[in-house]
Amino acid sequence: MKFGNLVIAGIVTGSIYAVFAVCVSVWYRVSNILNLAVGDFAMVGALGVDNLYRVKGLPLWAAIVTTLAVVGAFSYLYDQVVLRIALDGRRQMEGIVVTFFFTFALSFFIDGVAKMLFGTDVHAAPALWNGASLSWGSLHLERAGLLVLACAVIIGGAFWVYIRYTLGGKALEASGENAVGARIAGIDTKRYRRLIFVGTAVIAAIFGIVESPITGYTYLSGATISLTGFLAAAYGGFRKPGRALVAGLAIGVLEALLGGYVSAEYGDTVLYAILAALVLAWPRGLGFESAVTQ
Amino acid sequence: MTGLGGFARRTERTGLAGLDGLTGVSSRLPRSLTPTAVVLVAGAVIVLVYGQQYTGSVFVLAACYAIVTAGMAVQIGFSQQIAFSQSVFMGVGAYGVAMLNTHFAMPVLVATPLVLVGAGLVALLLGSVVTRASGLALAVATLMLPLIAAGYVSSAGYLGGVVGAPLTGTLWPSSASTSATVIAVAGGLIVVIFLAIAVFVASRILTSDIGLELFVLGVDERTAAAMGVRTPRRKLELFVLGCVFAALGGAAYAGTQQFVPETLVDPTSELALLIMLFIGGRRSVIGAVIGALVIQYLQGASNWVSVNILVVEGLLLTVVLLVDPEGLAGIVNTGMAWLRRQRGAGPVGAGSSDEALVVDVPSTTKEGGQWAIDRVGADGAALAGAPSAAGGADAAGAGAALLEVRGIGKEYGGLTVLDDVTIRLPERGLFGLCGPNGAGKTTLLNVIGGSVAPSRGTVILDGEDITRRPPHERFYLGISRTFQAVHLIKGRTVLDNVAVACLASHTSSIVTRVARSKLDDARDKAARTLSDLGMRGIQDREVSSLTLESQRMVELARALAPNPRVLLLDEPASGLSEEQRHRLAELLTAFGERTCVLLVEHDLDLVAQVSERIFVLSSGRLVFDGGPADFRASPVVNSLLVGR
Repeated sequence: MKFGNLVIAGIVTGSIYAVFAVCVSVWYRVSNILNLAVGDFAMVGALGVDNLYRVKGLPLWAAIVTTLAVVGAFSYLYDQVVLRIALDGRRQMEGIVVTFFFTFALSFFIDGVAKMLFGTDVHAAPALWNGASLSWGSLHLERAGLLVLACAVIIGGAFWVYIRYTLGGKALEASGENAVGARIAGIDTKRYRRLIFVGTAVIAAIFGIVESPITGYTYLSGATISLTGFLAAAYGGFRKPGRALVAGLAIGVLEALLGGYVSAEYGDTVLYAILAALVLAWPRGLGFESAVTQ
Repeated sequence: MTGLGGFARRTERTGLAGLDGLTGVSSRLPRSLTPTAVVLVAGAVIVLVYGQQYTGSVFVLAACYAIVTAGMAVQIGFSQQIAFSQSVFMGVGAYGVAMLNTHFAMPVLVATPLVLVGAGLVALLLGSVVTRASGLALAVATLMLPLIAAGYVSSAGYLGGVVGAPLTGTLWPSSASTSATVIAVAGGLIVVIFLAIAVFVASRILTSDIGLELFVLGVDERTAAAMGVRTPRRKLELFVLGCVFAALGGAAYAGTQQFVPETLVDPTSELALLIMLFIGGRRSVIGAVIGALVIQYLQGASNWVSVNILVVEGLLLTVVLLVDPEGLAGIVNTGMAWLRRQRGAGPVGAGSSDEALVVDVPSTTKEGGQWAIDRVGADGAALAGAPSAAGGADAAGAGAALLEVRGIGKEYGGLTVLDDVTIRLPERGLFGLCGPNGAGKTTLLNVIGGSVAPSRGTVILDGEDITRRPPHERFYLGISRTFQAVHLIKGRTVLDNVAVACLASHTSSIVTRVARSKLDDARDKAARTLSDLGMRGIQDREVSSLTLESQRMVELARALAPNPRVLLLDEPASGLSEEQRHRLAELLTAFGERTCVLLVEHDLDLVAQVSERIFVLSSGRLVFDGGPADFRASPVVNSLLVGR
């Protein structure tokens, strides 16, 4: 059952890509910024908990709470200082500088600080659920993987309920469709920008903590996660969280299958080639145009 | 620092932020050569003075990267074609030179041009695929390139895999007896010459007429196409240009470092190049060079900085962009402008010139005859391949249609927007196109202009079927248009906005303009049109500082400047006051006497006043076609548009 196990592994990593893709596209809807630093928050979550628990000797729960609080506070501060000047200042910025380069710089900054604090070695947060991997016949699933899936379902579901069924979610949708119109209708779009930014940063950190026992993180791991989340979000046109979610899962499964059947060495290369070909085959069909003109 | 001082002096004369001297009309040649001269002189001095010392060797390394970022300033910064292909092509250049050098014992200086040709061909192939995409799609597709290349290189044995590829040769042809100092200094000087060539080509392109095209392309691809810019070709040219510059930088890197590390092609290297570009100033060639220097020197500034370079780069990029999105070049430009103001030499051209326009417009329409004669006489030749409209009109009589739209249908999904619409328009006259919201008026204009392909039917101009012609070709056949929402190019003057439509550069490539720019010709022609319309007073104003009426007038001027045979106007009166509409009506009547005008408008009184014939669309069908008297009396029109 090689195929089955590869699919299971693919779904676990894919669910992470999916959640990150959803985070990227939901925030893009309210801010018109692509958050290229979302994976770096995951890295901070994993390495932060590891550092506080293993090196500083804090109890696990305290390490997790502290790390999440720091991530939340930092992202709040970043929004209040940098994004406020860039987006709400006297000279409002727009275009590629805002869309890419502030979060791009943020990603560099976070990676650099992580290198300073946590060093360059591979670490992981301690496994939250110890024990042998779960098996059904020849199918296997790591316990950490199950936790990842559970988190993905819970957080994804909560997002869906929030957007679909609450007034806040409607306001969020409105800010995404038309920011000026939403503001006229009394929606505080800046508040939603901040809320989603801080929220997605904390969610990313949670995923880093839960997932890191499977793969292990270094201070540079965040960029790779951001990249895949970004790509999955791209296939949803950066504005469609639902499609981004499916794309994330598909990329995860495809990656696992290519690694298992084609070549462990060239698997990623082939994956990226396929992804590039998909973009080029339908340059307008994936919803990019709306993302560009907005 | 020598480089920065020269930069400051240059930008002081250049004026507008980060545009590398694009704004002035006069003394174009010396200005576009200044950056090249600064790079050549300052670079040579640094290499000669510091030679093999630390400062010298860092400078040479930075210069290799600067060759790449100079190309990125044209491609990514100025034209906003975000393609992440540079680190890969730096790798193509570097590995190419290394392979030719080690396996065929070819001197680096001989290998470099060969590799550049090879890289150009590869870029042409790759570019013809990837530049089909625009905007974020282009960015996402090309983002895969460094990822694919990094995976490939690290496992390709003949390239040295993760170890990298060493070179035996050096950039300056050397033997065993050549001293290390000579190798370093001579090699450094060659890199400086490469960089000077790159800066020369880049800044010449940006200051040429094609530079103006590229700017428009960067702001809005569709407007660019409607103004006659051959967008697919320009995008491909930009991609190849960026790749060849990167390959040259890579070759210089391999020749001076005598080693190609595997990390040269990977995404981190691409990100480093982007940081250099955006810290220096994305739209400024010199800024891009400064950015490369700043980052390279920073990395060796102190032990702490080199260990924590990510923190430093992240902070620096954030702070610089917060202060000025145009980077260090923008900051220097703003500083210089402030200094000039402090000295009392106030800015020219600001003030009450808008009012002058308002007074001028009616008087110009009275002298419209002169404008028309001038137009046909001076510019008839500009419409390549188009038969002269001046003589044939009366002889052909009213029966011959200039523009014919035959059986046009258009569906979006299941929604029918246009249904079997047929309209014939003669060479002269003003024709109104009315209809309720969503009737398909703008879609019909888009079908005629070429930005929307019809599901059925044909568009015929002067007997030729142009249904399948792209927008820029239709522009050169004489179809010119305005947009419902004003589509002017922010950040440029009124003169340049009109000059875009006068470039006639569709047959030229980017490279031919390095030798001779035709921007001044286009600006002269634009200035004539503006002056004929009584808008000379505002020609040096930046367009977003104008009132809505003036902006609409600039759009009209832009549509008129190329002497079109068919003028498509999409709601030129929307947002204008009663008085402004009166002035517009006079102007429109004057246009209609000389060319074929199709006017989409909601103001029924205006349409009935100026049009000789009016078409009414409803739900994509033509429901009325007749003169203004019938139009006012028609029950169909009244029930549909007036609500009676």
